Amino acid sequence: MWHIAKREIYDNLNSLRFALTTILLLGLMLINAIVHLQEHPVRMQKYHDAVTESLNRLRSRTNLYNIAQGGPGYLYKKPSSLHFCADGGEEFLADNIHGGFYAWATDGLAGFWQLDYMPATLNSKNIRPDTIKIDWGFVIGYVLSLIAILFTFDSISGEREHGTLRLTLANSIPRHTVLIGKFLGALVSISVPFTLAILMNLLVISTSSEVQLGPGAWSRLGIIFSVAILYLCLFLALGLLVSSRVRQSAASLVILLLMWVTFVVFMPSTVASIASGFSASMTYDQFDQRARQLVNELRGEYDTRLEGTREDAAKKMELAGEYVIKDVTERERLSQEYLTQQHAQIQLARSVTRISPVVLVQHLLEVFAGTGFERHQQFVENVQRYAREYRGFVSDMDRADPDSLHIIGTYEGMSKKPISPESIPTFEDTLSLSRDFNAAAIDLLLLMLFFVVFLSGAFLAFVRVEI
Amino acid sequence: MLTVLIRRELLDNLMTFRFAAAVLIMLLLVVANTFVLIKDYERRLEAYNTVLKTEHQRSRDMKTYSSGRYSVARPPNPLSIFNVGLDKRLGNESQISHGFVPTLWDTGTYKLTNPLLNLFTSIDIVFIFEVVLSLIALIFAYDAIAGERERGTLRLVVTHPVRRGQILLAKYISAMLCLLVPLLMSLLLAVILLTTSTAISLSIGDFLRIGGIILSSIVYLSVFYLIGMLISTVTRRTGTALMLAMFVWGFWVLVYPNAVLAAIAPPQSSQPRMVSAYEEIKQIWETFDRERKQFLANDAVPGEDPHLGMVGADPNFNQIWGSGYHYEYFHKDSSTLRYDYHAVSNIEELHEASKPQVPHAQDYYRFLGPQVVNTAERAWLVRKQALETIFVQPAIVDRLLLRGSPVGMYDAATQAWAGTDLRGLRDFFEAARRYRRTLIDYYYDKNAFGSQQWFSADKGAVDWDSLPQFSFQRSDIQINAARAFPDICLLLTINLVLFIGIFLVFQRSEV
Repeated sequence: MWHIAKREIYDNLNSLRFALTTILLLGLMLINAIVHLQEHPVRMQKYHDAVTESLNRLRSRTNLYNIAQGGPGYLYKKPSSLHFCADGGEEFLADNIHGGFYAWATDGLAGFWQLDYMPATLNSKNIRPDTIKIDWGFVIGYVLSLIAILFTFDSISGEREHGTLRLTLANSIPRHTVLIGKFLGALVSISVPFTLAILMNLLVISTSSEVQLGPGAWSRLGIIFSVAILYLCLFLALGLLVSSRVRQSAASLVILLLMWVTFVVFMPSTVASIASGFSASMTYDQFDQRARQLVNELRGEYDTRLEGTREDAAKKMELAGEYVIKDVTERERLSQEYLTQQHAQIQLARSVTRISPVVLVQHLLEVFAGTGFERHQQFVENVQRYAREYRGFVSDMDRADPDSLHIIGTYEGMSKKPISPESIPTFEDTLSLSRDFNAAAIDLLLLMLFFVVFLSGAFLAFVRVEI
Repeated sequence: MLTVLIRRELLDNLMTFRFAAAVLIMLLLVVANTFVLIKDYERRLEAYNTVLKTEHQRSRDMKTYSSGRYSVARPPNPLSIFNVGLDKRLGNESQISHGFVPTLWDTGTYKLTNPLLNLFTSIDIVFIFEVVLSLIALIFAYDAIAGERERGTLRLVVTHPVRRGQILLAKYISAMLCLLVPLLMSLLLAVILLTTSTAISLSIGDFLRIGGIILSSIVYLSVFYLIGMLISTVTRRTGTALMLAMFVWGFWVLVYPNAVLAAIAPPQSSQPRMVSAYEEIKQIWETFDRERKQFLANDAVPGEDPHLGMVGADPNFNQIWGSGYHYEYFHKDSSTLRYDYHAVSNIEELHEASKPQVPHAQDYYRFLGPQVVNTAERAWLVRKQALETIFVQPAIVDRLLLRGSPVGMYDAATQAWAGTDLRGLRDFFEAARRYRRTLIDYYYDKNAFGSQQWFSADKGAVDWDSLPQFSFQRSDIQINAARAFPDICLLLTINLVLFIGIFLVFQRSEV
């Protein structure tokens, strides 16, 4: 088997395609590294500036009522240091959630803050042409798979055409050994330039002092590299499958290329667009209408109940506090529902597009690079957890003060002790690898399944084929 | 002889597996994507219609001239189904008021149902052609010469008394005829699907534009076929030819269009130019503000009524003037060089006490209105140039770089035909600016600036119906053609150069 693999490798190393592959991959990875080095410090700077500003504003509040009413302000998503692996459509995802939106203020009462999930503001002022980002996702998903096809389309059919396959099999070598040998040969001869390109890319990136990769990042990179190799294997197996089924290598290439174009270039967006039509989220107008209605209803309820109390100040305050809290919970529930519907629509479309292997690999890359939709959901969860913590802090501080009336929602009913700015909880956006593994498990399994199916298909086809 | 050769080649090509596969895949992709694109277009059209409706309702609330702030909406372009260009991305609502010259950089975007859907890139028909047509052309071409040479049939053909140029021509013509089948069939299906949709109404001009897109597609297709043929003539073996063709394809179609901007054009920083232009504009408006205050200081009758002219200074404004609203502000945005002044008062009923002040207010607004218009115009002259150098020129350079690949030329040509290129979209903002002039002329016509209706609706609300409606017509087909012309010429030149190159190489090559 090693003999065959070795022969394949020698054949490939001298070929035109090997040289072109090396140049192409090195060039793309170099561009990727340079762009990352230019963009990442800017991104980080922007993030740090925004976080500092938001924190300063939060810490300028010393009064518990102001803290409870105004909210934590803008909460920002931390940019991933592995942004160069997968861009993940970050520009279409909001990079912050505003924890400070309140709807109304009337006679001594003010609505409390809620989480406001603003959509990303598309840069509609950008008139520069649209291009796909050159990230690892592009290099692996598009270029590497195309190269895999170009290396394998003639590995069986070509030898059959030349008659050398007959010679090989005339020696007492089992057929599956030939197949595995060819597979390994192609794998090694593509992995070499690919690994070289990746190493060069990482070398360029890690030389810069501004962009630092921690140990966590390196282990993530390791996983990404294995995913890339698995994906490469998948396309090699597919190439071998088609190559052993089809008599002529030209026909085999045509089939493979058209499959590649359909599955890799078109399937992801076309299927996603079709699938997103199956589930609909409420429209912005509907949401807006419901929100207004909700605010008015609660207000009406409060007003009628207020009339019921006869000039009883304590009772009035209690009612006011109840109203303010109910108002904010209901409003937040509604915007949560709107967000959930939107996410569900995207989630469905993303699940359906899993029939394309390139989508699987892109999901995996996004998850491990800490960008994209999964990461965004994680960010939303982090923010929601923080919001609970923040509200917990307010009620704890209030409970700790014996002078307070413990009516959260009104100025008079709450503790008036000054709060030290350092004790206010601050938001920390985190990433956990274990959670990422959970999110990635299904994609990883599907990718392996694809690989196993293709490889066994290639094996069956090759064993039964006439030479 | 030529016809015999063409017939032979045609039969050879038509009966092949690759031909069937090409037709099938093109039809599949185009039909599936056209469905998606039509749905998407319908959604955008619906959003546009909603905006028109709410805008109409809003205009009922504008009771005075000064509150006349129209918002004009850009309709989605039905030809964006072919090449979306900038049609979906750029803002589509533009504010029109006499005190501000609107540009592309001051637009809003009407709300989408689910903005996250932008995560999935949309694929237009031209993109399918860019990727698949070029691939199919190369698949047809790679063995045109090399294959025959390998099989030895080329030698047979050459022994006949045919000139080599004729052989090339026959091959080219027949292959192009074959390649036209999937192209035309899929386009025909797409057009049929378009006409079945009730939301899309295509004019004769639109059909001609689609014709222009087809023409560009054919020229583009031919470029890639000739590239494949050149490779086939230069190389000895089909295997090498194929490999070379595939890498050429991968580079020009996949890598170059996406990588060139990242590789060559660094993110430009035009901060100093931006700051100086902003300062200049700011100066213009600050001079205006001084003059305005000067006028107030000279003209107002001090002590008698503090509200005359000193608009917005008093928090109890509403209680004194009656119902309605009133505000004034400077809109400042240094990132788009925007700086302008707005004073709006929409008072439904004047308070008795303030009625004697009406002549003073009329005097003031008679002075203020034209002053605002002129200042806005002066600031616009500065802003226009600055925006041009800061935003437009880099974008044009980017597009020039993209033209390094035939894909870029084809994309530019089809965008020009569809009217979704930068110039096509700027036409809309040009129309919006013209509409602003219409509004100002209307004000002068009605003597609005000095009238009481400028700030109060005491004598009845303004009848906006006599103001001409805004309508935006996409540019004429001739203009589209003129815009697409350079790129088509470029593609044609490449065709010619390639063909001559192939001819020369083939003449000298051994068979």
